[in-house]
Amino acid sequence: MIAELTTNERQTALVILLALAVTGLAMAIAGQGDPFGVHGALVMVVAIAGVFTVISGYYAPEPSDSRLDSYYDTPTKFGIVVAMIWAVIAMFVGDWVAWLLAYPNLTFDAAWSSFGRLRPVHTSGVIFGFGGNALIATSFYVMQRTSRARLPDQLSPWFVLLGYNLFCIVAATGYLMGVTQSKEYAEPEWYADIWLVIVWVAYFVLYLRTLARRKEPHIYVANWYYLAFILVVAMLHIVNNLAVPISWGSAKSYSLFSGVQDAMTEWWYGHNAVAFFLTSGFLGMLYYYMPKRAGRPIYSYRMSIISFWGITFFYMWAGSHHLHYTALPQWVQSLGMTFSVMLLIPSWVSAGNALMTLNGAWNKVRDDAVLRFMMVAAVFYGLTTFEGSFMAIRPVNSLSHYTDWTVGHVHAGALGWVAMITFGAIYASVPWLWKRETMYSPRLVEVHFWLALAGTVIYVFAMWNSGIIQGLMWRTYNESGTLAYSFVDSLVAMHPYYIARAVGGVFFLLGTAIGLYNIWMTIRTAPRAASELAADRPVLAGAPALQAGE
Amino acid sequence: MALDHDILVWFSKSFGLFYLLALSLIVLVYAYWPANRKPFERAANAILHDDDDKPYRG
Amino acid sequence: MFGFHYRLERKAIGLVLAIIGVASIGGIVEIAPLFTIHQTVEDAPDMRVYTPLELAGRNIYIREGCYACHSQMIRTLRDEVERYGPYSLAVESKYDHPMLWGSKRTGPDLARIGNKYSDEWQVEHLNNPRDVVPESVMPAYTWLLRTKLRTDDLSNHLRAQRTVGVPYTDDMIANAAADAYGQAAPDSPQADGVVTRYGKATTVRPFDGRPDELTEMDALVAYLQILGRLTDAAHKPIASAEK
Repeated sequence: MIAELTTNERQTALVILLALAVTGLAMAIAGQGDPFGVHGALVMVVAIAGVFTVISGYYAPEPSDSRLDSYYDTPTKFGIVVAMIWAVIAMFVGDWVAWLLAYPNLTFDAAWSSFGRLRPVHTSGVIFGFGGNALIATSFYVMQRTSRARLPDQLSPWFVLLGYNLFCIVAATGYLMGVTQSKEYAEPEWYADIWLVIVWVAYFVLYLRTLARRKEPHIYVANWYYLAFILVVAMLHIVNNLAVPISWGSAKSYSLFSGVQDAMTEWWYGHNAVAFFLTSGFLGMLYYYMPKRAGRPIYSYRMSIISFWGITFFYMWAGSHHLHYTALPQWVQSLGMTFSVMLLIPSWVSAGNALMTLNGAWNKVRDDAVLRFMMVAAVFYGLTTFEGSFMAIRPVNSLSHYTDWTVGHVHAGALGWVAMITFGAIYASVPWLWKRETMYSPRLVEVHFWLALAGTVIYVFAMWNSGIIQGLMWRTYNESGTLAYSFVDSLVAMHPYYIARAVGGVFFLLGTAIGLYNIWMTIRTAPRAASELAADRPVLAGAPALQAGE
Repeated sequence: MALDHDILVWFSKSFGLFYLLALSLIVLVYAYWPANRKPFERAANAILHDDDDKPYRG
Repeated sequence: MFGFHYRLERKAIGLVLAIIGVASIGGIVEIAPLFTIHQTVEDAPDMRVYTPLELAGRNIYIREGCYACHSQMIRTLRDEVERYGPYSLAVESKYDHPMLWGSKRTGPDLARIGNKYSDEWQVEHLNNPRDVVPESVMPAYTWLLRTKLRTDDLSNHLRAQRTVGVPYTDDMIANAAADAYGQAAPDSPQADGVVTRYGKATTVRPFDGRPDELTEMDALVAYLQILGRLTDAAHKPIASAEK
């Protein structure tokens, strides 16, 4: 990795790492006796380890100019593996907390292992650790290919990826120590948030610099989606996390907003995290990998553009549907509901566009589990967005809100759409990246597919049932006009569904673990010979066998 | 006088609709603009034909 | 060459600006008017701020992730009002930085849990929920009783709260640690100061049953017992905040 950096970049890396180490040291000193200090020490150790890594490779020969003849894919390779590792960890924690809801004593008598602290490790681990790394890694891959330009330098992709993972680690370890802002899906405290802004700016600049080197005047639509993901997440992150720390040596801060303003800001953030982190970025993934894998162009390029602006526009208004019947003024609730329903149009245009792309290639979908991952993802995307618009309707929401239905909805999206499209994209790119014929075991991809699908279906059905039963029990009256069930009654009724949900989770986790194993074994098998590679190419008949790899 | 709450609310309630209409129009015009047809088709197909998998060096 | 690049850059920047423009307006339109909301929503002149002990308890509530399973927002629905009490008003969480309305009820709503159960019940329940509610799936928070409450930085907490808009006085900030101790130790000399600064209605009790030691349990129970009781605006015959 260090050998791929130029001397100049090695020096810059050293400067950055030393600055980071000094910052960590300052944090550790200022935050003695506080989790802030622990994180300072952590940052310092990581930075010093980085310094040693750079020094150990410092005198390696500079990479030759021939590197510019190929795309720079090492960061993508790293990001894919890290994403899968995060997936296994975070899904394990998720399933653990799922079992805790059925058997609350399956835990240790320690603060870090209680449900409330583990849950954000699961949510952040899956969304940011798994999803975020997958997005960054694939975006590097896609922006280079669609621009036909190599990344402008070797250092900044590493800064983005490693810096981002530092953020994820600080966030996850923070939760275990009780460091949280309590804002859902924005739990990391102020210093982690500031660090993420720095990383994110570097990511944005890197993206623009690569685009500026592109060969085609037109920017391929997948990049639009990735760009919207980068830009809007930055906007949401900065506004929602505005806070005043209690001191420069403490992890604790207080949100700038309170009460109803804070609620609206949080769910403006929360819902658009779904939109721009979990939808826009992954649509970018879909619009590159699905046509590529199916060997067919997008069914309608125009539709992909129209739905892009639809999604970018509509989602921003929809957040207030998380606050129906609350103290939020009703006109904001109505706006949120209206736009949430309209959101169905661009969402279904996207899902339809994806499925129509496969139309005529169904035999490939039948035979190729990788393409099937992508197809199922598009189907779940369509289902989930329909369900989402439906649940945003006020009377429906009065039943579904606060119940497991919401949890089921989120997982239909997260497991069925986000994870499936990611697995599809990863399985497609691993053989391309490591120059292999196929995955180590196509059979295991097949096994993963069915485990993931079964897990998702079990999970979602369990939560639909429990959520609707719960919602109905809370509002059921008996003949004398009083509430028929106590809260505990509804809780007891959930027990079988909580077990079913946790079993569904086991299926999904198992699939992911198999996926990681399969990817690892693919990396370890021997690469194809250069001549084979060339022979495999469809159009270049008669051309000299050039080595395409690094 | 500072921004009055009622005026702000009125603006918020009505503005979205006009904004929505204008934006949809712009997007539709852009997507169906005849001159854009070719670059779109080119872009949709270009990703399928980069078999050498190498950056362009001009 | 330069011209070509310039054209490419301009296109990319144009796309960036368009995305920012299209994406930001929805949020601005919905959020900005909320900052003028005080012009129409009734005020609650009787509302008091959290005492340092209650604020510390609130921070424990946040730290342990209680908000993941408990809401603090009673909706304007008949069954919710009958189950949990009068629906929540915007003004009731005006000092909540951040709000803890929540999004999920794995456990019941807590917006009006204050004074519904005795301190003893709360302590026993937090220590092991299944001792008092056999069917409960809530975690046991055994470490709260054995962990001393950190009070040395409470003045910093109050000062930061004031920065974001909560009306703490200099007096309150200076005496934050003493007030936290006093509120859970009724016979101590510090107890009087709490009532002087936060009002006669302030509960001064040994919340965890042990006045000699200030634990995290004291703080959390003090917080739970004040929930829904900072103001009685919601209990007035015509609650006019729902708009």
